[in-house]
Amino acid sequence: MRIILAEDNDILRKSLSFFLESKGFKVDQFSDGKDALEAIESDNYDLVLTDINMPGVSGMEITQYIRQTLNSEIPIIIFTSSSVEQTELDSFDLGANEFMSKPVSPAVLLVRINKLLNTRV
Amino acid sequence: MNNTKFPIPYNELERLAALKRYNILDTLPDHAFDDATKLVSYICGVPIAHISFIDESRQWFKSEIGIGVTEVPREISFCQYTIMESEIVEINDTFLNDRFKNDPNVVGGFKIRFYAGIPLTTPDGFNIGTICAIDHVVKELNENQKNALSLVAKHVIGQLELQTKNIELNAQKKIAERAVLAKDSFLANMSHEIRTPLNAVIGFTELLSQTDLNNTQLDYVESVQTAGENLLLIINDILDLSKIESGNLAIEAEPFNLKKTLKHVYNLLKVKVPKDVEFNLYLDAEMPDMVIGDQGRLNQILVNLTGNALKFTEDGDVTISVKKVEDTDDFYTLRFSVKDTGIGIPEDKLKTIFERFTQAEESTTRKFGGTGLGLSIVKQLVELQKGEIQVKSKPGRGSEFSFTLIYKKANTAEIKVNKVSDNNLGKLKILLCEDNPLNQKLAKSVISNFGFELDIAENGEEGIELLSKNEYDLVLMDLQMPVKDGYQTTEYIRNEMKLAIPIIAMTAHSLVGEQERCYKAGMDAYVPKPFKQAVLLKAIKTVMSKDFEHGYKRKINFSFLDEMGGGDADFKKEMISLFIDKIPNQAAQLDEAFKNNDYDTVKKLAHHMKSSMDIFMLEDLSNYLSDIEEEAIIEEFTAETLDKINILHCGIVDVVKVLKELC
Repeated sequence: MRIILAEDNDILRKSLSFFLESKGFKVDQFSDGKDALEAIESDNYDLVLTDINMPGVSGMEITQYIRQTLNSEIPIIIFTSSSVEQTELDSFDLGANEFMSKPVSPAVLLVRINKLLNTRV
Repeated sequence: MNNTKFPIPYNELERLAALKRYNILDTLPDHAFDDATKLVSYICGVPIAHISFIDESRQWFKSEIGIGVTEVPREISFCQYTIMESEIVEINDTFLNDRFKNDPNVVGGFKIRFYAGIPLTTPDGFNIGTICAIDHVVKELNENQKNALSLVAKHVIGQLELQTKNIELNAQKKIAERAVLAKDSFLANMSHEIRTPLNAVIGFTELLSQTDLNNTQLDYVESVQTAGENLLLIINDILDLSKIESGNLAIEAEPFNLKKTLKHVYNLLKVKVPKDVEFNLYLDAEMPDMVIGDQGRLNQILVNLTGNALKFTEDGDVTISVKKVEDTDDFYTLRFSVKDTGIGIPEDKLKTIFERFTQAEESTTRKFGGTGLGLSIVKQLVELQKGEIQVKSKPGRGSEFSFTLIYKKANTAEIKVNKVSDNNLGKLKILLCEDNPLNQKLAKSVISNFGFELDIAENGEEGIELLSKNEYDLVLMDLQMPVKDGYQTTEYIRNEMKLAIPIIAMTAHSLVGEQERCYKAGMDAYVPKPFKQAVLLKAIKTVMSKDFEHGYKRKINFSFLDEMGGGDADFKKEMISLFIDKIPNQAAQLDEAFKNNDYDTVKKLAHHMKSSMDIFMLEDLSNYLSDIEEEAIIEEFTAETLDKINILHCGIVDVVKVLKELC
């Protein structure tokens, strides 16, 4: 399973990707939204993890682009440290499948990923 | 001007006062009364029954069946007449009664045909209300029913009395509880107030005795010292008792040398032995040297019991003996006994001698002195250590007090021996925060005796100011000071100034939990006042010794990181070096952006850094960053924001230091 991870905080991004790889996923990580989007367009992934606040292109924009321009149904999980209800609603409006507040619990993240991929790794 | 249309009892004013006393009018429904009303309805076989009270203008129903209103005007009530009587009023057929045959409630309204009412009479003889049975048909009550009705009436009055008494009792109970609390705090405060000047008296006497004195002067000074110490003992007794009573006396569990303690008690009391008395100390050969327990309290118990024994023995012997009775893997059980051949205690007094202010003989106080608190404290101290005290005695033959205590075995590794000599400390520079001039002077003399340098701050604020200007090795901190007290000052030094300088608390409070509170606030040691030079010096040595671990050190919780990395050591190391590389830089950028009022950058950086803090579970720093981010969003920086940035900065420096040690 290939996951694309877009998160600008190095420590968090590296931690998450180490964690996911230890669980058997292949993770491509990006600290810039624009690079992440280019990778999504050119490669095949099974799931997108993206922070909402990203330099270049934001998580919202990535989600919108995937759903409306690429017409892809790839599962998307959005991270945010905002606890504002509207942000969560907007994310779902744009077509995100899951919304997780930071700090993200790795165990919960894993459960959600597996649920979305509908497989057990 | 009397336009009332109802009969008025001759004692109406007193009757109304009696009614008022019960506070029953307009109260909520009550099961007890409802049950009584039901009972009346069952007994008399009537559809309408009530319990009511009559004030100046109305009949108010405390409980009713078949009436459906809460009150009626007094002048239309049947019961206005009943309260004029002392017995049951029964009207079998209202149609045949001249007074009622044209009553609106007979010809219409409640259609009352039968009425039986009995006055509710208070114990002091006032008819404050009625209890009634009413029917729409002609009826006659038999003797049993009438008797039952008066019994219910009595019961209702009983109920009322009980409720009133309960309310009074509750009020009295609250008063009593407040009084006890006031007494306790008075005792504690008073003892504290007395101890403060006494502290100065004893301390200066100690200093005075070290100066050049001739023999007579030395004798006088020693007398002052003894008197001062005795006074202190009494005050400590009172303070102990109030602590025990409020359940606030804590028993310590520290390793101590049992044999030394016993020998110390023996040597201490040897000077008080009358010339015809032999004073012995018998120790079990198998007795352990070191145990874990409360040395001070054992000392106190033994000094008290032995002191008594010596006081009441004119000739013969007084013997302290200790025997090991049990020895398990973890515990020693020891039996302590203090035996004398003194005046003894009469059998009928044996049970009460442990009570407060009780001595075997009324005359004892006059003849032998003492507060009468000693044995009461001893008993409670033994019981607090889960022991039991026993006494055997025969008048004229002597007494034996014995108790058994269980001590945890001391692991030799737990015993730290501190062998720092005075010279090792060199010339320490000490800051004293203390407002009382006498105590300042005393501390100054003592400290200079040690050869240390001392600066004095009148309060916490001043202390902080001096600390930020000068370098000190140690802070002596009084707890009670104006402006900023010892706790607040320590918290500021630890949390805001981020200084790890040793702080020793000095206090005359000796209140419960205070020691813990001191450690919690970040202090390293605790010296009770009045302090002895040796105790203070020991505390100073302890906190200054190299192996002394400062309680204050940031602990980093790696559990989140470990969950991410599944415990992979390389991964953890990589993350730690990332933190060390990135975060101090980002903190510097944050400072810069803050100084330039660059809200947008502050917002982004704070947000970014927060994620990193969360991974290392630095909750406090993460919270500061959240606050800073919020303040950047609303574009409003204040002095507090600057504080937060500074604290954050210090926190990060701290964390990086700890992380570097791990790499």
